[in-house]
Amino acid sequence: MNKTFEVEESNSVSRREFFKKTASVSAVAATSIIAPTTLLADDENIMHHTKWGTSLGDEVNKNPYGVPSLYEHNVVRRTSPLMSSAGDMHAAISMTPLHALKGIITPNGLHFTRTHNGVAHIDPNKYRLMIHGLVEKPIVLTLDQLKRYPSETRVLVLECPSNSAAEWKGPQFGTLQMVKGMMACAEWTGVRLKTILDELGLKPEAKWMLAEGSDGSEMSRTLPIEKVLDDVMVVYAQNGEALRDEQGYPVRLMAPGWEANLCVKWLKRLEFGDKPWYAKEETSKYTALTASGKAIQHFYANEVNSVITSPCPEKDWKDLKVGDLVEIEGLTWTGHGTIEGVDISFDGGKNWVEAQLKGLVLPKAWTRFSYMYKYEGKPLLLQSRAYDDSNNVQPTVNQEKAVVGVEGVYHRNAIVTWKVTDNGEVSNVQIRS
Amino acid sequence: MFKLDRKLVTIAGVALVGVTLALSTTTAKTATADVAGSLYKSKPGAIDGGVTYPRENGTYTAYKYNEQSTKGVSFGRTPTANEIKAWDIDALPDGSGLPEGEGSVELGDELYEAQCAVCHGDFGAGGQGYPQLTGGNKDKDENGVIITLKNQRVYGSTDAPKRTIGTYWPVATTLFTYIRDAMPYAHPKSLSNDEVYAITAYLLAQDGIVEDDDEYVLNKEKLSKVVLPNRNGFYPNIDGPNAQEDIRAFFADRAKNLGAGTRCMTDCKDPGGQDGKTEPFVVKIKYEMSDVVPPYAYAKDLPPKKDDGLQHPGKEGYESNCAVCHKTDAMGAPAVGDKHAWEATLKQGIDKVYHNTINGKGGMPPKGGTSLSDDKVKEIVDYMIEASK
Repeated sequence: MNKTFEVEESNSVSRREFFKKTASVSAVAATSIIAPTTLLADDENIMHHTKWGTSLGDEVNKNPYGVPSLYEHNVVRRTSPLMSSAGDMHAAISMTPLHALKGIITPNGLHFTRTHNGVAHIDPNKYRLMIHGLVEKPIVLTLDQLKRYPSETRVLVLECPSNSAAEWKGPQFGTLQMVKGMMACAEWTGVRLKTILDELGLKPEAKWMLAEGSDGSEMSRTLPIEKVLDDVMVVYAQNGEALRDEQGYPVRLMAPGWEANLCVKWLKRLEFGDKPWYAKEETSKYTALTASGKAIQHFYANEVNSVITSPCPEKDWKDLKVGDLVEIEGLTWTGHGTIEGVDISFDGGKNWVEAQLKGLVLPKAWTRFSYMYKYEGKPLLLQSRAYDDSNNVQPTVNQEKAVVGVEGVYHRNAIVTWKVTDNGEVSNVQIRS
Repeated sequence: MFKLDRKLVTIAGVALVGVTLALSTTTAKTATADVAGSLYKSKPGAIDGGVTYPRENGTYTAYKYNEQSTKGVSFGRTPTANEIKAWDIDALPDGSGLPEGEGSVELGDELYEAQCAVCHGDFGAGGQGYPQLTGGNKDKDENGVIITLKNQRVYGSTDAPKRTIGTYWPVATTLFTYIRDAMPYAHPKSLSNDEVYAITAYLLAQDGIVEDDDEYVLNKEKLSKVVLPNRNGFYPNIDGPNAQEDIRAFFADRAKNLGAGTRCMTDCKDPGGQDGKTEPFVVKIKYEMSDVVPPYAYAKDLPPKKDDGLQHPGKEGYESNCAVCHKTDAMGAPAVGDKHAWEATLKQGIDKVYHNTINGKGGMPPKGGTSLSDDKVKEIVDYMIEASK
């Protein structure tokens, strides 16, 4: 309503007078869009000229690099002291606002980001990538030289293995963004590593590759050669433009389907060796301690997973009335292959129906699923359960807990439950024993 | 694991398209051979002169890639020996790659107190919110598993498993490279190799892994021989010639090793608990973590205006109402920024300028055609004069 009054002030006095008289009924009208025939007054948004229709807009290139509508200013990444060391936001993680996204491509500015020593800012002119170790012909490349190699583009999900780490022992966060937002999906362009390696003469004893970043944390990880020669890429573009600094500008590793920590940012060096390195982020961290007292190391692919994005705590059903036909929509992904399908339960996992996939269904990428539901205004325990072409079915909380316990931190893919109350409120709960 | 969709593509030519789409459907019966070729099934006669693609069996799309050979593509140059030496400073668990140098527990103590304790606590005991480095019970069970690592904060156990160097880390060389490459946190790579050996010695001494004696000096040879208590606490095996096959076998049995669901569709049971019998129930959030940054907000409204006191109050009104004519002199109006034009205008006195603006002059309608208040118009005039000085 306030904005409408602003319009009036900048236009004509007579209209402002009119609104003073009709404001009270219009307030009701504006909130009653579902039943036009019962309106007390006509919608002022229709009956009168708007501010934007009666004034000159911005010059065409006011923002040479475009920015979102100012009205979308709340659609941002969010973090929490819990996602950091002692509240320090240099070694922390910021989450994608999944509730506000559509389709399978995450805008670059909203892509989740995790840093171990702050966001590095690399001068591309001083950037060098060295590939050496057990190769006949080690090389060093500038950024321009790397870009001379034939490029490949793939839509790929990146998920931090800590996604949902706060939820192992019970529900903790009250929003989709904080429960599942350590992931995003983008179109990545770069060079398939095999294309470069074909000319370097990889020695037969080369079994492992060390990927090392150049930021203050010198993030490094070891990958097995089989994956390296399969689909690993060295990428420099994200959704058509250069990588963002937060994503490792100018170059990061991309190991499709594997935990994002392996996709080393600010990539500096690839070394081939005959033994694994036991780098700090594959020993002291990023190993999943199970209830046996032993920990899973070299935990590569992210598991089959899914979450309902509409409704969700941020996008509830409070505006629905009984009988409305509404779409239940969600995201599903697997690091092992391609999503085959998703089932939906309304009763906390006792009974299930098949949802449908929609849009692009690509390997190791987000896939959308959809189910048309007639809203009944009754309480629900809403769940989604994905399965993929690698024979994986998403586990319940109990099924996952029974095997790995609750102290593993990493690779949690248990079914998410949204509790929907009879008035359409949505909250994060877990079905567990 | 090790899923080779690239190989699938290589073997089946352009069949990635077909594979992707066939697998994408919710039921296998809808897979079609039509999409395995180079083009999708299409119908001519679209309104734009092109074709339309049918939406059938829930599919609609494609990926392709260049199949020409990339053999011979080669850019870049060979790095010099010095360049490789400068960057290839990693160390393996057997100590290869560790630099020369040495450092005592005593020096390590001094350095730790000065540079590390502020985050990691006295003696590495934690408490400042950053990782605890030392301490934790290292007692093992009959199978050689560190008992406290089995702690689960459900089933009645309230102690979290402690993941310190002594209880959890598999190899000690990692400690050296971690400190050298990434510590101190705010000034990584500022310590000499000798200092890193000293701090490494100090931390290992706190857990009795090396001699807890000020005189103890750690170097490459000694660090190579250190065996941490939890060396065998990890799986699958990643060492030796069978490593990759061991990993493959581990991830092949994901249901057993990682947990898996079942596609039960009706009347499904989901027992849990330690006995595998406990009925599930709904667990709500007990203490919601809601201190997020920035705070939760979902309104589609304008962000609060940042009033830094720097923007002239008339600037915005000028830009939205007056700039179209006054930005240049193309319309015959004095252009904002044109010092001489405004000096000439102001010769008639500011009150006259206000008057003309409010009442109109020549081609300019009263108030520039706006319905702004007189005061607002004057503010804009002030801005235009200010911006033209």
